[in-house]
Amino acid sequence: MRLLLFTFATALLGGELRFALHQEPKTTDPLLMADESAEAIGYLTDGVLIRINRLTQRPEADLAMSWKVAKDGTKITFQLRQGVKFPDGSAFTAEDVVKTFHRLLDPTLHSPIADTFKTEKGSVKVSAQGPFAVVAEFPAPTASIESIFDQVAIGSGLGPFLVAERKSGVSIVLKKNPSYWKKPLPLVDTIRIDIEQNRDIELVRFRRGEIHLIDKLTPDLYERLAQDAPGTAVDAGPTLDSEFLWFNQAKRAPIPEPTKEWFRSTAFRHAISQAIQRADLCRVVYRGHATPAAGPVAPSNKLWFKEGMAPEAFDPAAAARLLAGDGFRLEKGVLRDRSGNAVEFSIITNAGNKTRERMAVMIQEDLTKLGIKINIVTLDFPSLLERMTRTLNYEACLLGLTNVNPDPSELMNVLLSSASNHPWNPSQKTPETAWEAEIDRLMLAQAATADHRARKKSFDRVQEILREQEPVVYLLHPNALSAVSKQVTGVKPTAFFPRTFWDAEHLSTTPKPAGGG
Amino acid sequence: MTRSLLQLRISVEYARKRVLNDVSLEVAEGEILGLVGRSGEGKSTIALSILGLLALKGGRCEGEILYRDWDLLKLHPREMRRLRGKDIGLVPQSPLAALNPNVRLGSQLKEAWRAHERGEPDWKPLLESVSLPAEESFLRQYPRNLSVGLAQRFLIAMAVLHNPSLLIADEATSALDTITQAEILGLFRRLNQSRGIAILYISHDLASVASLCHRVAILHQGEIVECNSVDEVFLNPQHPYTKQLIDAIPQLPTVGASAMESGLARR
Amino acid sequence: MIRALAIGFLIAVLLAALLPARYEKQFRDSPNAGPSRQFPLGTDDLGRDRLSRLIYGTRVSLLLATAAALLSCAVAAALGGIAGLGIADTVIVGAADLFLSLPWLFLLLMVRACLPLNVSPMVSVTITFLLLGALGWAAPARVVRAAVRKLSVSDFMLQARATGCPQWRLLWRHLMPNAMPILLAQLWITIPAYVLAESTLGMLGLGVMEPLPSWGNLLRELEGGGIAGHPWLLAPVLLLAAVVGSFQAVVEREDYSV
Repeated sequence: MRLLLFTFATALLGGELRFALHQEPKTTDPLLMADESAEAIGYLTDGVLIRINRLTQRPEADLAMSWKVAKDGTKITFQLRQGVKFPDGSAFTAEDVVKTFHRLLDPTLHSPIADTFKTEKGSVKVSAQGPFAVVAEFPAPTASIESIFDQVAIGSGLGPFLVAERKSGVSIVLKKNPSYWKKPLPLVDTIRIDIEQNRDIELVRFRRGEIHLIDKLTPDLYERLAQDAPGTAVDAGPTLDSEFLWFNQAKRAPIPEPTKEWFRSTAFRHAISQAIQRADLCRVVYRGHATPAAGPVAPSNKLWFKEGMAPEAFDPAAAARLLAGDGFRLEKGVLRDRSGNAVEFSIITNAGNKTRERMAVMIQEDLTKLGIKINIVTLDFPSLLERMTRTLNYEACLLGLTNVNPDPSELMNVLLSSASNHPWNPSQKTPETAWEAEIDRLMLAQAATADHRARKKSFDRVQEILREQEPVVYLLHPNALSAVSKQVTGVKPTAFFPRTFWDAEHLSTTPKPAGGG
Repeated sequence: MTRSLLQLRISVEYARKRVLNDVSLEVAEGEILGLVGRSGEGKSTIALSILGLLALKGGRCEGEILYRDWDLLKLHPREMRRLRGKDIGLVPQSPLAALNPNVRLGSQLKEAWRAHERGEPDWKPLLESVSLPAEESFLRQYPRNLSVGLAQRFLIAMAVLHNPSLLIADEATSALDTITQAEILGLFRRLNQSRGIAILYISHDLASVASLCHRVAILHQGEIVECNSVDEVFLNPQHPYTKQLIDAIPQLPTVGASAMESGLARR
Repeated sequence: MIRALAIGFLIAVLLAALLPARYEKQFRDSPNAGPSRQFPLGTDDLGRDRLSRLIYGTRVSLLLATAAALLSCAVAAALGGIAGLGIADTVIVGAADLFLSLPWLFLLLMVRACLPLNVSPMVSVTITFLLLGALGWAAPARVVRAAVRKLSVSDFMLQARATGCPQWRLLWRHLMPNAMPILLAQLWITIPAYVLAESTLGMLGLGVMEPLPSWGNLLRELEGGGIAGHPWLLAPVLLLAAVVGSFQAVVEREDYSV
């Protein structure tokens, strides 16, 4: 209650919140958003039925005042908030929700969000029950059914802000939505979002007080800021994101046969994993703002992390033994396979990502100690993607995955062997190995039930298999590093997108103190 | 009259614009012929035509240029090159621009020698014959250290290096001050008398022509309007243009008041 | 005097560049360290000795960037010279314009796509500089062409012709000494340009690959600022400037001023 009074007082001041996005939003259609910039704008301007609170990770009422999930997880009923108005004065009703889903599920729209609402057995049916109730019926039981509604913007003009001005490639100005239902929020009158690709310049502008928030900081910039302006750099703790290395195991990959042979050897993969000093990666590259990874699930994801899983311990001797047991031998500092081929392969990663380049160099040195020669190749992102998903012309790849939702279904598009983003062997018609078949089965099983215990059991097993086989060498989970200006009040940085402005309507700004900087 | 050395009858076009129209000239062995006309009348064009370098300026020459027994216009470029510098020398208008700024004088002299001969002669007599210092230190200099007069002497030395039969002096004294001009004219006269070199002396300055040449040809609007002995032309000019030229020669001031006029006329 | 100093300096740099250096060793307990007795220029963010990297990077960049610049300027001299004399002028000028207007980024990406991924860093860097050298002729060629054009109609060239100087001697003895300073100026601006271009190409998967150091990737570390309070980070900039300056002092001859 005190907090509320305080915000009332500052609300009178109005003010402008400023931050930068790294890229121009590619679309303004809330149902077609696939890039982070567009999602950020959408997050600030659109209303949703249920909003996942980024701090508590719990679903909260937004346009739906309450909801009820049927026991088997096939049906959810929303009670809509009454008295909500669009900026043009018309009332928000169940009809608007139905229309939105009708459009979303229209196959000609090709919405990337729609996939979540479609299964093999058909898609979601959304219907109105009176002016302020909506029922969504799923063809099969669906896990964590509420959370997926966080992504669907209902109409437009129901969020806390409205787009006031848009200068392509320069800036986007949002203004307070006067008809926003959560009166008298938002506290700031405007949000000014600049498009700034260069992160160094972003940091300089932050220091000058020209922008108030930096959502994602690289570890080196974070350290620099923490030294120069203590208190503004915030480490919001571990994210669900992960950084990892994998080996190309696709049969049709145009790479040498012996190389494929090594990559298909579980012992070889374990040996690599054991030879990498994860602690050093966290300490040197991330300056301590990362946690060694044991698998795809971060330990901070308490609900789904398999208890007791520890990161692979650094043990070069054990790695050497594993390799020796698999027919590899060390000759004059060069590791050779059974047929005498020197073990040398390339690791590709995306150019311009200094953090990843640095990790690759450290891995390179670690593996040198096993007698393995690594060539690091940085590629621009489109070329990298082309090689990863289409030509499969690469050997090993170092990349990361951004996870917003802690739910295991979020990993479906990576873990299913049929997925085009299945890293080590994409788009398989039928799983090529028994363990991949098992992962497919378990992932589908956990998605098809709402029973948490059953899902947990399946997903724990998936984590175990990934650890036994190590097709992907999981390296670390980075922390959420942000910057928050002292001119902004109320920021509660989290580890989930958007980290700093997820409750933008509650933030307020104070003018820059004279002579400050 | 002695044997004819050069006999030409040419028409020249630049990009379909005719600048010389059936011009005839004749230079006898050992003769100094003055070619006079205003700037832009095509005097230099005649010089370039004789040297076979007109194509460099994009001109086209028709007719015939008889030099000794050869028609220069029909000569193979290789033969023509051998003639240039060896048989026909050129003394240019702007001495300082005509020397390669980045090559020492000695090297330039050597280049000119090597164009036709092997080895290296003793430069001393040559340099002395044009009143230049014959020291090694002089030859080590770059052209930018020379005065205009010295540069012109040096170019004359280069032009007479191979003892040519014909020297073409294209406005060779125009850029010089009066005293230097007089010295160079004296040099030409000496070379003509001591070595018997014929000179085609091209100038817009009738006074210098009068002091040097045996005969003079007047070029006007692409045609030779008058060609006769110096005395004849000056005492009894036939063409109105010739008269105009002679009238324009500044007189030495007889009264104070005309001093200014003469000064203006000279400029 | 300056010339002797410059020669001495260049020899010292060359000798130092040939010294053995453990440029790839990571002292992971002292990343981003300041200068000390063990690391005279401090360490980089992975704890690698900056001095060793600078020394080895000098070997890579100085030799290869210079070689590439020489290649470019040689091609530029030949083609620009020919064009300037009026031979195949339109063809060469057209080719130069085409080269200058080509979408290089796209082409280099294609080149990268054609190269195998598994090439050693030294091969990759050599290919890169060869490419730079072979492709970078257009801009200097245009300059050379303009200069030769101007020179070939100059009074002294006409005079040299009038002395009967044969064509090749005309080019060699009269044109060259005058075109040389222009060509050298092109060389001096091309070397540092290539040093920097290499670091940009690194972004495309061409250029110097880790862990090999080069002036380019050492300079790239300065990108994010952070020089304040860390003046030793400027060492590669100073070295590059000093080396290019010394080249100039050594090769510049009195007789090259036009």
